[in-house]
Formats: sequence, structure tokens, C-alpha cells
Amino acid sequence: MKRNFDFEQEGIQVKKSCCYFCHQNCGVLAYVKDDKVLAIEGDPDFPTNTGGLCCRGNIALLHLDHPDRVNYPLRRVGKRGEGKWETISWDQALDEIAAKLGQIREEYGAEAVATAGGTQRTDDWARRRFMNLFGSPNGFHNSHLCWIPTFMIETAVCGWSPFEIDLSYSRCIVLWGQNPGASNMPEMHHLSELRQKGLKIITIDPRFTETAAKSDLWLPLRPGSDLALALAWLHVIIYEGLYDPVFVENYCEGFGELANHVEQYTPEWAEPLTWLSADLIRESARMYAMNKPGNIQWGVAMDQQGRASGAAIHARTLIRAITGNLDAPGSDLLTGPSLEFITDEEMEANEYLSEEQKAKQIGADKFKLLTWPGYSKIAEMSKKYWGKVPTAEWMCEAHPPSVFRAILSGDPYPVKALLVSATNPVNSYGESKLVLDALREVDFMVTCDYWMTPTAALSDYVLPIAGALERPTITSSYGCSDFLLASQRAIKPMYERRNDYNFWRDLGIRLGQKDMWPWETVEDAYLHKIEPLGYGSDSYDEFVEYWRFHFPERQYQKYLDKGGFGTPSGKIELYSSVLKDLGYSPLPEYVGPVENEIDHPELAEEYPLVLSTGNGFMPFHHSEHFQIPDVRFLNSEPYFQINPETAEEYGIEEGDWVWIETQRGRMKQKADVTQAVAPRVIITQRGWWFPERKMKEPDLAGCLESNTNVLTSTRDEDCCPLSGTWANRGLLCKIYKVDSTEQKEGN
Amino acid sequence: MARYAMVIDTRRCIGCQSCTVACKVHNELPVDMIYNPVTTVGPTGVFPNLHMVHIPLLCMHCENTPCVDACPTGASLRREDGIVWINEKKCVGCKACVMACPYGARISNQEKGIVQKCDFCLDRVDMGKIPRCVQSCHQKARIFGDLDDPNSEVVKLINSHHTVRLLDELGSKPSVFYIYGLEAQMR
Repeated sequence: MKRNFDFEQEGIQVKKSCCYFCHQNCGVLAYVKDDKVLAIEGDPDFPTNTGGLCCRGNIALLHLDHPDRVNYPLRRVGKRGEGKWETISWDQALDEIAAKLGQIREEYGAEAVATAGGTQRTDDWARRRFMNLFGSPNGFHNSHLCWIPTFMIETAVCGWSPFEIDLSYSRCIVLWGQNPGASNMPEMHHLSELRQKGLKIITIDPRFTETAAKSDLWLPLRPGSDLALALAWLHVIIYEGLYDPVFVENYCEGFGELANHVEQYTPEWAEPLTWLSADLIRESARMYAMNKPGNIQWGVAMDQQGRASGAAIHARTLIRAITGNLDAPGSDLLTGPSLEFITDEEMEANEYLSEEQKAKQIGADKFKLLTWPGYSKIAEMSKKYWGKVPTAEWMCEAHPPSVFRAILSGDPYPVKALLVSATNPVNSYGESKLVLDALREVDFMVTCDYWMTPTAALSDYVLPIAGALERPTITSSYGCSDFLLASQRAIKPMYERRNDYNFWRDLGIRLGQKDMWPWETVEDAYLHKIEPLGYGSDSYDEFVEYWRFHFPERQYQKYLDKGGFGTPSGKIELYSSVLKDLGYSPLPEYVGPVENEIDHPELAEEYPLVLSTGNGFMPFHHSEHFQIPDVRFLNSEPYFQINPETAEEYGIEEGDWVWIETQRGRMKQKADVTQAVAPRVIITQRGWWFPERKMKEPDLAGCLESNTNVLTSTRDEDCCPLSGTWANRGLLCKIYKVDSTEQKEGN
Repeated sequence: MARYAMVIDTRRCIGCQSCTVACKVHNELPVDMIYNPVTTVGPTGVFPNLHMVHIPLLCMHCENTPCVDACPTGASLRREDGIVWINEKKCVGCKACVMACPYGARISNQEKGIVQKCDFCLDRVDMGKIPRCVQSCHQKARIFGDLDDPNSEVVKLINSHHTVRLLDELGSKPSVFYIYGLEAQMR
């Protein structure tokens, strides 16, 4: 948006586009002339952002034609990571990639081809469709860290994940490990509005965040101790009689077992584990249970705690259930999948993947819930009750750390090719050194991205992808919501950029899948998805221009009409038969954080501080936007948070470069000495790499230097036994100042 | 004639700096120039008893304008509607106004050899639009309007809340009003 921009000049069109820099997809109006975007602003009529844009949203035009963008297909000419490329045509690139993938399938089997994704910034039903038709079960994202374990455990217990929060009637919301003040601006806005009308906000977070500062109650728990807190809440709610006896009696199964099970988990028991006083634990549990209806908003914290994740999520699910805060006005709603439009799952062609290939999914033998064994069971249950099933992409994937290990070891079988789309695994996945080794080792790698990331730099081919204003978008919560928000592309992709959909389609066609890809453009595919809604639009763009959203009429307490919930017993299974059948505990059992001073006193002697990683901070999203000076200036260097008391103990002052080290390795960030965290707690920033440096081996733009994932753990025994999610939080670390001789760039 | 003003509700501001960036992009400012920084105070107190407030700053569009008075070339002006602006064609970059402004709202653009500052996006205001920072704010912490319109949101807010004008004691009479209160007073 420039000054004196004439909004009414001749030939200008207003396109209903959206922001694409996180998955809120805030509505954006793009002012377009001659296929050029001249200006953008937040769409005041869009229901979520109502005209607002965060700092990232505001730089869309700087992102669109940034000089560092990858604009043409590139083929490696030098050695891997040497930074030498030649420009080739899409046709040539796709022909060569298809030939190579075909050859690998011939030699090693289709399962030797894996694909890595990031957050939902792509049409990944198309990725899944390609992989299913190709015959490989080994697609994955780092979705384990983000909602997917939550979705599957909640669905196992309740028949669907109650992720739709009915905030307008709510009296109390628990933000458990969520900081919408830095990660979900539209939500923060609605919370602020409702708080003025009396909504109580409880924030559970080790950091005094933007959101904690605007809350009624802040619980600064020890990082990774969420499970202990959730169990103690269950104890308080049950033993103080704060649960909903009518709902429990009529609609829940296993309350007696649960009550017996949590008797041991008193607030006094939880006090030394959570570092919260028993009084505060009681007060907070009462505030939630006694202010009905209420919500527990999902945050990534519980999904990122490794072995304790599953039980913590399970316990949180039960808190909601026994208070009756399910599917009632003002509570957390079980919408089920959309029966009105074609869901992502229906576009995935999962039926084309043979049972034999499904059985080969890496990690399925160890972590059953988010792989074919657990997904099949939940899909069957969901089909019977709702008529449709959750998206398989995201909910049923290979275990990422196990795939990276398979690349290095050949165990359980060789993985020879990695197709990377919309992710930079070196910075986003756990145990970065191992990931980097795997990316260096894999025989064949293709990356689809906007930028030359450290991962792209190691690839054989890098393909230029269309970004925010160049692609249409349907927003539907990983294909699992019963509503959708639709946005159009403002302009055709610039240069030789293409939509990721076209990458998968064109590759599929070259590998014999032609009949399965009837939709030439992504708009054609979207029109197919929304046609059953009956709006009668002739094109997808027409739907966006006239309707833009589809929100079905809200139905509460569907279990009354449907004769129960979508579980095997038809009740909310507090004692979960689904988890039990998969070989897991039917009730949430306490297990300590992956590394802690009680279970591992010797480790705690060497690594005495408690580490949490992976939380979001403005102005970046995951490992993105470091290239753009107009937002980078807000936070130009990596910082970790440390309490003044601890800083003094270690002789650390504000702004000092400090090494942070775990058993996996070390990385350095600068000290932000602040009261926002408890003594002994270290909280690092995620995602950091330095695009301003040389993108060449061995430094690869400093991709390990300040990268917090060097510290995280993905060992099988540290992962959640149900979901396989790995440990970003609740780790032990040590710190020491960076020596004056170590300050040169590179590790 | 309108009399423009801005109310900033610090109870709502979360310090995301969306306004800062929106303004920079709109005004195409060099990386080191900011018209409206957001100053974060805190967390103050001792863990876990903490408090934090964010104070967005910008040109206060004063009624009594030391900057305009200091300008030797007549480049600094105050419109009838209260917007204080700089006619860049007349500005020689002498920085007298930078010295005069008690709010540090004026910045010298070394590249262009002139002084620049927030002008409430007068280009947009003249088109009937609200300033870019106001539109961009998710939290609706910035409210823009006309003090002469008794039905405007700004008048209602100023009359129903305790508001503060920065350095009011100088007699500059800013057009930017801050709603400032502890969290407990949110309701």
C-alpha cells in the first residue's frame, strides 16, 4: 500500500485474497491492475480478522517480489550444497524427477520415496493423492507437534475432536499453552472483546506472555509438567464435587475408574512437579469448573512434550468431559466432518493404497495412533457415526524422526528419495543435526519452496512455488471443520512459479496417474469440492466473489438426536476402549517430563536448568521471514529468556551470547534477562537461520548455529508412545557464555 | 470542519507492532525509520507477580505546535482539521522541529534530506478512510475519529474513560488520548 493510492482508478479490480503467512488465513483485499497487485489491506468484512493484519500480513507485497525468491526451476550442477544451479524448464524438471522416482520404485519399492511437509500452507490432499497412487505410505509433516495428537486422542475418547469453541456464550476460557497474543491475532481480538463483557481467561504458560498479561489467572507451571497439572485438576473437580453429575451419569462411561485413578493425584502431589502452589491449582480448577459453560482452547504445548504428551492430552480431554463442557452452547463443540462439501479426505484416494503398502508405513509398529493401525480404527468408528472420516494426511503419517533415521541406517528398509514441500526440516523438525545428516545422505531430494532454504540448498532440484497472493485458498482446519472460508488468487503466479497442487498433479501424470487428476487447476479442484453445497457458482472465483464462506447452522447437543457419541460404546469414554484396544492405557497415567530432576538426578547435575523450545514469537512464523528487513528489524537476532536470578548466578548480562546445551548438542542465542520466566527456566526462540549469510556447505546460512531444534530429542523412548510426537519441552539443559574467541559465524 | 483525534486503548494493545510495520510499508520508510514505535514497559514486578503495558507512540498532532512554531521555512503546518503535517517540498531538513518536538515524533530522513513524521495518513483520511495503523490493528486498540462529532467513538471513549494525554503539562494539547488503566479496570 503506497501513499496517495487511488482506490478508484480505472481498471482496478478488488480481489478477495487472503494472507498466507500462518494458517489463520486472514482476509485480504488485493487491488489489482494488469495482473499486478498494487495495494493490499485487511478485509474488514472477513469474519476472523475484521480488517486487521499482523506485521507479517502487512509485508505481503515485499514478500511477493522479494529479490531472494526462487522464481525458476533449478537443477543442481555442482556438488550437494555447493550453491551451483542451472535454470531449467518445469517440463524438463518434472520429466527428470518422475523418471528418477520411477527408477527408485522399481529398485527399492514405492515406500523408498518419502515426502516431508510443514504446516498447512499447501494443498496436501493432493500430496496424499499422489503418494497413495504412487504406492508409498511414507508422507509426513511435523504435524505431530501441532494439534494432530490432540485431534486423534480427543476423537478416540469423544468420537470427534471438540475443537470448535463456542466462545460467544462462554464464561471462562482456558488457554493451555497457547499465546494468541503472538500467534493468533483474530482469536486474541475476540477474547479481548469478550473479556470486557466478563469472560474469564486462565492462561497456563511458563512464560509471562502477551496473553498472560491480559488474563484473569496466570499459571506459570514448570515447562513440561502439564500432565501433572491436568491430573490434579481432575482430582479437584471430582473430589470437590465440581463435575457435572447429570452429564457424567448419562453420557460418560468409566467415571468410577477415573475417580479411583486420580485419587492419588492431589494438588499437593502436583505442587513440586508443577512448581505451582496447591492453592493456585485448586483456584484455577474451580474457576474453570464453576464458570460454566467454558472452553479449553487447544495450544501446541501438550503436543510437544514427547513421552508425556499423550497422557496430558488425554487428561485435558477428560476435564472437559466431566464438567459437561461438550457440545453445549458456550462449550467446545463436536461438529464432526462436513457432510455438505467434499472433504480433503475424500480427495485423498486413500482406498488406492494397498494394505500391503499401508503395513510398511515407517513408525506404525511403534506409534500406533497417528499411523494406519490407529487411524483405521478411528476412521471406521467415525464413518459409522458421522458418515465421513478425518483427513488422513496429517492424521495418519509416517513417523518423521524414524524416516530420517531410516535414511541414515536403511532400517527398516532403505529410503532413497525425499520430496520436500513447504518446509525446512533442518530448522523445523527435532534433533536438527540428525535431520541435517539425513538430508545430506538421502540419494535424491526435491524441494518446493519460496526461498533457497538450508534444506533447498541440499536438494537436487528446487521448484518455485506460488505464494500468498498468487494462489487460491480454502481454509477448513486441516480439512476437518464443518465450515469453510474461501479466498481467490489476486494474480497469476509471477515468473515461473506454480501452485504446489500442480507439482503433485504433473508429477502424477508422468507416473501413470493421468485418469486420477481430472482437475487441471486448483480452482477446478476447489469447485469440485464446493459444488455439493449448492450455491450454483459456475466457477470457484464466482463462489469467492459472491459467497466467500460457508457456515452451517450451529447444532448443539447432537448426541441427543444421534443417540450418543461416536465412540464404540456411544458414550464419552473416560476409560477409553479405543486406546486400550491399541495397547495403551485407557486412563492417563502419570509420567514425568522427558528429562527431569526427579527421575534423572544425575542428568540434572550436569544439566541443571529446565528448557522449553518451540513457542512462537512475532514477527516470524516457524522458520520464515528472516529475509525481510521490514519485519526482521523488530527482532533481528535470536534471544532466549532467562530470569535475572539465574542470569546473575551464571554471570550473564542482557544481550550476552550464550551457549545452551543438552545431551544432543548446543546452539547459541542472546540473553533476554527478564522476570517473564521463573528462575532455572530457559525458553529459546525457534526457527533461526540467517539468510543474509552464504547458503553453502558446511554453514548453510548458520542453520545449526542458533537453531533450537539442535537441543530437542526424538529418541523413540522420548517420544509419545501413542502419537510418536517428540520432545521440544520439559528438557534439561546447561548454559555458559560464548567465549570471545567463539563468536565467528558457523558452528 | 472535523477535528481529528486518536484514542489508544493500552488495555487492549498487545505489543504486536502490526501498526509499526503497516505504517512503514504505507509510507515506504527506510528500515531505520519508524513513525510509530510501540514501547513495551515490563514485565515489571518480580516473578510471578508481573505487569506489562504497551504504549504505541506517534505524532501527537498537538493543538499548540512547538514544531510548527520552530519551522523556519513554513514546511511544518497544522491543518484546520488538526492534522499536523510536513510539506516536503518546503522542508530543508534543518531539524529545528526535531529539537522542538517534546515527543520525539519527528525523524530526519538522511537519504531525502528532509524531516518526516506521522500525518494520520492524511492521504487516506482525505479519501474518507481511516489511518493505516488503525485499520491494521487486530485488537482495535487504536480508534480514530472526529472530536466535533458527538456520536463518534473517540468522543464516547474519551467521555466514558479516564484518559491521559502525554506531557499534557506542557500545554501542547495533543490530539492523541491514551486509555491507561490496570488490567483489573478492564471492565
